[in-house]
Amino acid sequence: MDVEVNGSSCPAPDGPGGTAAEHLRDRLGLTGTKVACGTGVCGACTILVDGSPTVSCLLPADGLAGRSVTTVEGLGGDHPAQRAFAAHDAMQCGYCTPGFVVEASAFVDTWRAEHGDTRPDRDAIADAMAGHLCRCGAYEGIFAAVADACAGAFDEPSDEDPPRIDAFDKVTGRAEFTADRIPEGTWEGVVVRSAHAHARVLSVDPGGARASDAHTSGTGRSAPAGDAGEAVPVLIDLLGSDRTVRYVGQPIAAVAAPTADGARAAAAAVSVGYDPLPAVLDTDAAQAPGAPVVYPTRAEQRAAPSYSEGPTPPGRWNGNTRGPSTVSWRGGTAVRRLRTATDREDPLLVAQEYTTATQVHSPLEPHVCVASWEDGDLRLRVSTQAVVQVADRAAARWELPRERVHVVTEFVGGGFGGKNGLSTDVVAAVELSRAAGAPVRVSLDRAEELTDAGHRPGTRTRVALLADGEGRLSAMTVDSYGDGGVSTGSNAATLAFLMYGRSPRRVRDFDVVTHRPPGKPMRGPGGPPMAWALEQAVDEMALRLGEDPLALRARWDGNPKRRALYEKAARIDLWRSRPRGGRTGRFRRGVGVAAANWMYLLAPRAKVELSVEDGALVARSATQDLGTGIRSVLSDVVADRLGVPASALRVEIGHSSSVHGTGSYGSRTTTSMGPAAAEAADRMRAALREHAPDVPAAGPIPERALKEALTGAEGVRVVGERRADRWGHLSPDMDDLALGRGLTGAVHVMEVEVDTLLGRVRPTRCWAGIAAGRVYSERLARNQCEGAVVQGVGYALFEERRDDPATGVVLTDNMEDYRIPGMGDVPETEVYFHQEGFEHARGGGVGLGEVSVVGVAAALGNAVRDATGVRPHELPIRPDRLIRGLR
Amino acid sequence: MTITRPTDLGAALARLDGTGARPRAGGTDLTACLAAGVVGPAPVVDLTGVADLRGVAWAADGSARVGALTRIAELGGDPLLADAYPALAMTAAALATPQVRGTATVGGNLLQRNRCWYLRNPAFDCFQTGGDSCPARSGDHLYGVVVDQGPCAAPHPSSLAVALLAYGASVRVAGGRERDVPVASLYDGADPTRDHVLGSREVLVSVALPVPAPGERAAYLRATGRSRAEWPLVEVAVRLVCEDEGTGPVSSASVAVGGVARTPLLLPGVAQALVGAVPGTAPDEGVDAALAALADLCDPLPATGYKVDLLSATVRAGVERALGLPEE
Repeated sequence: MDVEVNGSSCPAPDGPGGTAAEHLRDRLGLTGTKVACGTGVCGACTILVDGSPTVSCLLPADGLAGRSVTTVEGLGGDHPAQRAFAAHDAMQCGYCTPGFVVEASAFVDTWRAEHGDTRPDRDAIADAMAGHLCRCGAYEGIFAAVADACAGAFDEPSDEDPPRIDAFDKVTGRAEFTADRIPEGTWEGVVVRSAHAHARVLSVDPGGARASDAHTSGTGRSAPAGDAGEAVPVLIDLLGSDRTVRYVGQPIAAVAAPTADGARAAAAAVSVGYDPLPAVLDTDAAQAPGAPVVYPTRAEQRAAPSYSEGPTPPGRWNGNTRGPSTVSWRGGTAVRRLRTATDREDPLLVAQEYTTATQVHSPLEPHVCVASWEDGDLRLRVSTQAVVQVADRAAARWELPRERVHVVTEFVGGGFGGKNGLSTDVVAAVELSRAAGAPVRVSLDRAEELTDAGHRPGTRTRVALLADGEGRLSAMTVDSYGDGGVSTGSNAATLAFLMYGRSPRRVRDFDVVTHRPPGKPMRGPGGPPMAWALEQAVDEMALRLGEDPLALRARWDGNPKRRALYEKAARIDLWRSRPRGGRTGRFRRGVGVAAANWMYLLAPRAKVELSVEDGALVARSATQDLGTGIRSVLSDVVADRLGVPASALRVEIGHSSSVHGTGSYGSRTTTSMGPAAAEAADRMRAALREHAPDVPAAGPIPERALKEALTGAEGVRVVGERRADRWGHLSPDMDDLALGRGLTGAVHVMEVEVDTLLGRVRPTRCWAGIAAGRVYSERLARNQCEGAVVQGVGYALFEERRDDPATGVVLTDNMEDYRIPGMGDVPETEVYFHQEGFEHARGGGVGLGEVSVVGVAAALGNAVRDATGVRPHELPIRPDRLIRGLR
Repeated sequence: MTITRPTDLGAALARLDGTGARPRAGGTDLTACLAAGVVGPAPVVDLTGVADLRGVAWAADGSARVGALTRIAELGGDPLLADAYPALAMTAAALATPQVRGTATVGGNLLQRNRCWYLRNPAFDCFQTGGDSCPARSGDHLYGVVVDQGPCAAPHPSSLAVALLAYGASVRVAGGRERDVPVASLYDGADPTRDHVLGSREVLVSVALPVPAPGERAAYLRATGRSRAEWPLVEVAVRLVCEDEGTGPVSSASVAVGGVARTPLLLPGVAQALVGAVPGTAPDEGVDAALAALADLCDPLPATGYKVDLLSATVRAGVERALGLPEE
């Protein structure tokens, strides 16, 4: 029997086994259809089967027989839903976009047939899109796109370019992510992981695979057997020299075989001999007297992984506790005042404890790498936030000249801090490829992604604030304990030091290590847990003082940018008309506010190359776009600076062979790359003027002058750099990272409706005020800030990694049990940009990816307190906790 | 793995010969279970071509018989069914996601495996996978049962079963002696090794619903963290049969809940207390007392104590919605 796919007939899969998604991607090459969760939860794999949206990851491949299938490729690119998604920027990384677009196309058509060209409300759209998740949180754009497409606003192509230059690549499935293109003859790799939380690994029996000592073998070896079908699987070792595993899921080895089934079978055949050792699986047990110690020796302590984004200062260890790392300003005074206040039971002493849960990055595109060795060159296609870093580290690790390592990252399906460095997928793919003599793809499955691809560690934080008789902050202490499994690097308390002026304060960070998976930096590392504790304590103080919480912050906070945001927030309707006094009834509305700050980081080595090739301008840099839109920003900056249409320019990023581009972490991509692009444009203008005197010294280049100039300047190449800011930076360049002058700020106002009967919190509206200087691209920046609200809501209400207390196995290893927000869970969000205050920075604007997420959960916590009178202390604010609190 | 595609029930049953072959309808749960290692590869008998399992048949007395292959979206979108069995249609429209509802079938929904994260994690053995203990009971059972019926601690996942229980529906089972099994007997809470009582040679053919009751007011709702697409912490289906075409007092009621026990449960005490209740009017103390008495049903596990409160709260919310009270 045949199956009709996008209008053409092709043979249906005959035997059982495999899913429709695998068939479409692997056999038919229709890689627009993405597989993310593999359990029918996220909808990235949605296709139309006989016109009905269907998750192809749960559809057996043989079920396609006799059916008519439309994939995202089959929509053609001119469906109103596709145009609307592009115009409203209803996407970020683009990995979930094909699934959303396919679903939306069916919904829009059905809606218009039933309701005419009318706008569905948010509830109707959320119902229709209930089977889709977007981890970047581009929901505001999706609501707008679906509603406008239903209303008939996109029946004709738009005259305007979409705000994101690769929008149409993303809505048509043309955007190629790492796993979408693999060389002929690529083998599949699978990681063999520890079944024990703590054990000595005595032996690794390869079970039929050919074990390879990758460190001593040469490169480019040929496949062990002539025919790929007969090739013997290969095995490489991934365990350190101490032969000790310290968490369930830790990589021990990896195997590769010519097919995915073969690789899975080879992995299952590997037998690991363990000598199990006692393990500690939670922080209480880790701190108990006589607890097994995760790192008994100083050497092991030093080798412990860190989830800190910067350098980790040396720390003192006491059993499983590391720290404190202390920052003080008149700390003795702060402690003394707080002690006295405690003794006299001062009503203006707020001393409280707050906890947060483990949040997992869970990008919808998993970590994936395709590695191949070709004549001694190492080629990597990898999903990473840091192309240059991967290339540099690969060159160092495999002892190659840097120019012989070629890293390519065209599109990244989300990262949020979790896709840096030589992650397991990269190391395994490279070693396996060398052993196999063939290209190897290693892609983490969802369980691996949710277990061992990093997380934002849980925290336990004690805050003490004391106000004096005039309501001024007279002392503050914060003690925070990070729960990052085998890793250290907690900094939540340290970040609190930067808030609320110069009153006496002491903040201390501790790490408590356990035999659980390591954390990684995650969007605003340390910020959300800091704000969850501090901003609720400040709210509590406002209640004690009987003062408006915005007014109190404006009084305590010396930061002029945040003060501007407080003033603005105080005037918005959401704040002014918030409910006051006690509330009754089942559904109670409340409004909360929280403030946040973040460092201004930049990458001093960022460069952008502009060249003239075949009569066109080409911008290149070895940076990458993980959804924030840097590809578009580079295009916008150059086009704007030269006064030429964007169509005159091509942007190529994601190749390590280009000039140095910054890694996308630390909110520094745009503020580093943007000024470099501007300088490149200026240099290009000067170069063009040498070839065509009609090119003006400033202002738009007329079309004819441009054409003439480009013809004459064929082959010209200029490079723009990221120059230092006026007055310089606060730190030297540390591995392409410098601390700039000034802090960014944010103020979030959140409205919730609490169902006090069933314990559910529904965020209804949010105002996000962001102060990060000039905004490069208003729509893209807004998208990021809207997405930050979505992720903050997830952190506040749903997200929580849970582990089996007896074994340390991660139970929430699928997207059903690890819960991220859907469209029905997020507030209508308005973003406001205060664009002053960074005039000293090149380009006038700095990063906002992190500051925009820090205070969201805290604002939500304060809103719940306002609505119910119950102060949430633990994250997430689950129904069971709320019900208990309300009893 | 081999696959056969019988086109009539006899041929399908012949293929299900007890040697490990397993039936498949929409395949949504089976595909997930295969991926998670809950079940291993085995011959598949694809039922989607079996005409005997299709369609909705209406009897002269007005009752419906729903074929097992009926997709959940069809169940939720059929105006005749929604008119006759509103609680069932509401339930069908509220479960899972639009895509899953478009693929998954009534039979598959009733016979799906439970959602316990220990069952679906290959690192663990439990009663259902050849083990001799329940790791959830001693481990993390935040979403576990609060009415303890036996060694397994996972609530039954079928929302349709909750609604069908409220209707007193039965299922027709073929294979061996054809028999009708009340939905109430389709599950055995004391048996931790399986999620329904059908044998490996049996096929669920159809669901038989009773003669519709005129004047039925109904509600289905679930308590969840997120607003959509989440398995219920507690779910309830309420049917109130009222005099005067639904405007008069309740003459008979039935209330069924899920998410709390290994099987869906009827709550006869609450149903009885609702007799005489008047639409648009808050329920009386008798209903309050019956709701309070639900706590007596419960014997929570260490982490499921919240479900004692949530059970009565969810039922109250369902009752109020069925009575047409404003939600505020």
